[in-house]
Amino acid sequence: MIKKKKSAVLTAILGFTLALSACGGGGGTGTNTPSATPSDPPATTPAENGGDKGTQGGDKPGLRMIMQYGLFDPKTEYVAKYIEERTGYKVEYELLPAENADEKLNLLVSSKDNYDLVKLNAAQFYNLASAGALEPIDELLESHGNYIKQSIKPESFGSATIDGKIFGIPETGSGVSIGEELVVRQDWLDELGLSVPTNTDELYTVLKTIKEKKNVIPLTMSKDSIYGDIATTFGILTDWKEVDGKLMHRAELPEMKEYITYMNKLYKEGLLDTETPINTAQKSIEKFSGGNAAMYKLAWWNAGTTIAALEKNFPEAKTTIIPYLKGKDGKAVVGAKANTTWYIAILKSSKNKEAAMDFLNAKLEPETFKGIAIGEEGVHHEVKDDKYFPILPKFNDELNNASAFLTGVDEEKYPIYWQARVRKDPILQAHFETFQKNAEGLIVVDPMSTAPPIEAVSKNLLKLTTLLDDNVLQFISGAKPIDAYDQFLAQWRAEGGADMVAAANEWFQSTK
Amino acid sequence: MDHKQALEGTNTTRGVIKMSLSEKCFNVFNYVFFIVMGLTTLLPFVNLIAKSLSSEGAVISGKVGLLPVGVQFETYKYVLQDSMFLNSLKNSILLTIVGTACSLLLTTITAYPLSKYRLRGRKWLLLMFVFTMLFSGGLIPTYLLMQNLNLVNTFPVLFLPAMVNVYNMLIIKNYFEGLPDSLEESAKLDGAGNIRILVSVILPLSLPVMATIGLFFAVAFWNDYFAAMIYITDPGLKPMQLYLKELLVSSSGDFLKDNVDAAINTTPQSIQASSILLATIPILLVYPFLQKYFVKGVLVGSVKG
Repeated sequence: MIKKKKSAVLTAILGFTLALSACGGGGGTGTNTPSATPSDPPATTPAENGGDKGTQGGDKPGLRMIMQYGLFDPKTEYVAKYIEERTGYKVEYELLPAENADEKLNLLVSSKDNYDLVKLNAAQFYNLASAGALEPIDELLESHGNYIKQSIKPESFGSATIDGKIFGIPETGSGVSIGEELVVRQDWLDELGLSVPTNTDELYTVLKTIKEKKNVIPLTMSKDSIYGDIATTFGILTDWKEVDGKLMHRAELPEMKEYITYMNKLYKEGLLDTETPINTAQKSIEKFSGGNAAMYKLAWWNAGTTIAALEKNFPEAKTTIIPYLKGKDGKAVVGAKANTTWYIAILKSSKNKEAAMDFLNAKLEPETFKGIAIGEEGVHHEVKDDKYFPILPKFNDELNNASAFLTGVDEEKYPIYWQARVRKDPILQAHFETFQKNAEGLIVVDPMSTAPPIEAVSKNLLKLTTLLDDNVLQFISGAKPIDAYDQFLAQWRAEGGADMVAAANEWFQSTK
Repeated sequence: MDHKQALEGTNTTRGVIKMSLSEKCFNVFNYVFFIVMGLTTLLPFVNLIAKSLSSEGAVISGKVGLLPVGVQFETYKYVLQDSMFLNSLKNSILLTIVGTACSLLLTTITAYPLSKYRLRGRKWLLLMFVFTMLFSGGLIPTYLLMQNLNLVNTFPVLFLPAMVNVYNMLIIKNYFEGLPDSLEESAKLDGAGNIRILVSVILPLSLPVMATIGLFFAVAFWNDYFAAMIYITDPGLKPMQLYLKELLVSSSGDFLKDNVDAAINTTPQSIQASSILLATIPILLVYPFLQKYFVKGVLVGSVKG
């Protein structure tokens, strides 16, 4: 009897606990909001304060910002302190993880945990904007955004506009520049009496001779970068191309087949690295700098270490950057994207929206912006022949991660400031500058660069790009016969390609 | 080591009987097989040591195999001065010590009452514990719970939710059940209370299981990055494993795509290698002393006295 009673009591307790914990979920959110309020009272002040541009420092609210991953601690960064000094806003920065950043972002945003600002990539921006998590900022821009509007072109805002409303500040970064170009071992060319190839036929001969005489991999390529110099000669530039007034994705271009046929020939004859489908950039660099490969499409940001390693291994080694190869029509072209890299948005759940905008605006005040981008003259950088050069190691120590703190850039000046980052290493600088010089007048900008986020595109692009690249690698390596390309294209279209192209064209026609 | 002992064991029990040809073959095969297995785990480690001691140029061009090329110690000097590395190491060590101590305490005092048949509702309580082993609320509700408890971005979130591990608790409980009841009775006759019995009688007899479970916890806390990845955004609170993971991921091709600024600042491979090594050393130092418990641990609690 007593036993029974006890267990009944126990059950009751358990039930009660369960009920309590269940309520705790709902009640928790209730109690959480007030618990967060202590930091809020100042939030209401800037609402009035923001009107007079927050000139009276002191009572500006603390802001919380979610940033992309970086290998640094914002609390100890020079730039974070500099920004606080210049703008008067104390900002608590939190970084997304390097992996699963999207899931974490959704978690942070859906938890409504008092975040004000967030720096997003294009896909994240579109997802959050369409989920209604971002605040439209048109009015805030009008009232608090004088420096922002001065720095960022109206066209760029187009990429952040959805249904006529602006949902974020677009950050275009360092401007249009070319990242990769073929680099060849000049000492071997000299030895074999070859000249630098200027088109794909000459390239074939050069590779074939190298294969016969040197017994090394004539051309190594990484699976992560399978277009570029050779593909452009066939007319494959960036994702999108305008053909007869219509947008076509590169998967649909008839030239794609020509390109993979050519590459497949190189692969079959052993002129292209047989490990291409599994090579990472790191692996390809290993082969090139280790003297096992003669040619590689090198990115300038890898040039410093790669060339230094090569020269250390083979003091006699010399390299030449191959100017962009000419196509059938005898002209060379280079594709480049001018997309907005980052979007800085204010969250709908923020309680400090005006202050957040005021903060973003203050960061684009010309002097402040320059300080964030390249620090102080004489301390972090110096000016020689109207060019900005970093003062090392101070520049590296304090400004290496400065780009992460940018929230929109002065689109005229930043590409110039930014080059100070390239001038940290003479080899790297030389490659960057030669690449850009070679590309001068040849650049074709991707026609979708200024497009606003389009659902069918944002949703499918990443998936379809992976699908395409995987298949292109299979066609090149002969794992799939090239005759099967049309079959693959049908699959590509069925998996969202058709929708994506239609939606892209709908936008494209509307701009005319 | 154990393998060798086992082999010797069979030899002595069989005495003078000679090994047949098939047994010899089997032995040779065994040695070869296990040496190869051993090398597959050892060689990557040796390669990593060589990389960490080599010049970056040699590492980039793939010249480094098992011996360092162009020996240098700068990478270690750099990593040991890197505040983020040191901070994450400190976090990990603290987490492992505090987490293991708290978990062991809580798991033990949960297991002890549950090992007593006279506890009323024991079956139900056990069932509820096992229930949590099989089902959980899912990631997002758990995250929201942590958030409402104001635990997100705090140090305790890394060990508080993991303090009672049901699986480990059951092992301890089974071990306790294996101890003779008469011990408890005699202590009771001497006037000891429940806590006194646990501390002075049961625990001293349970050192093997405590060491095993302690090691389980310690290794789990040391290796854990998931909790930190989910709950921590403040880089100052990140433990070692998360730091290492991010160090590697942030230098990989996928991450650097379309992110020129990150591409300029990638971490040299020799520094990555020395970071990994330096992060492995602490737990490596603990292993030789605790490994025997690890082996025993598989059996502890599985067979009742």
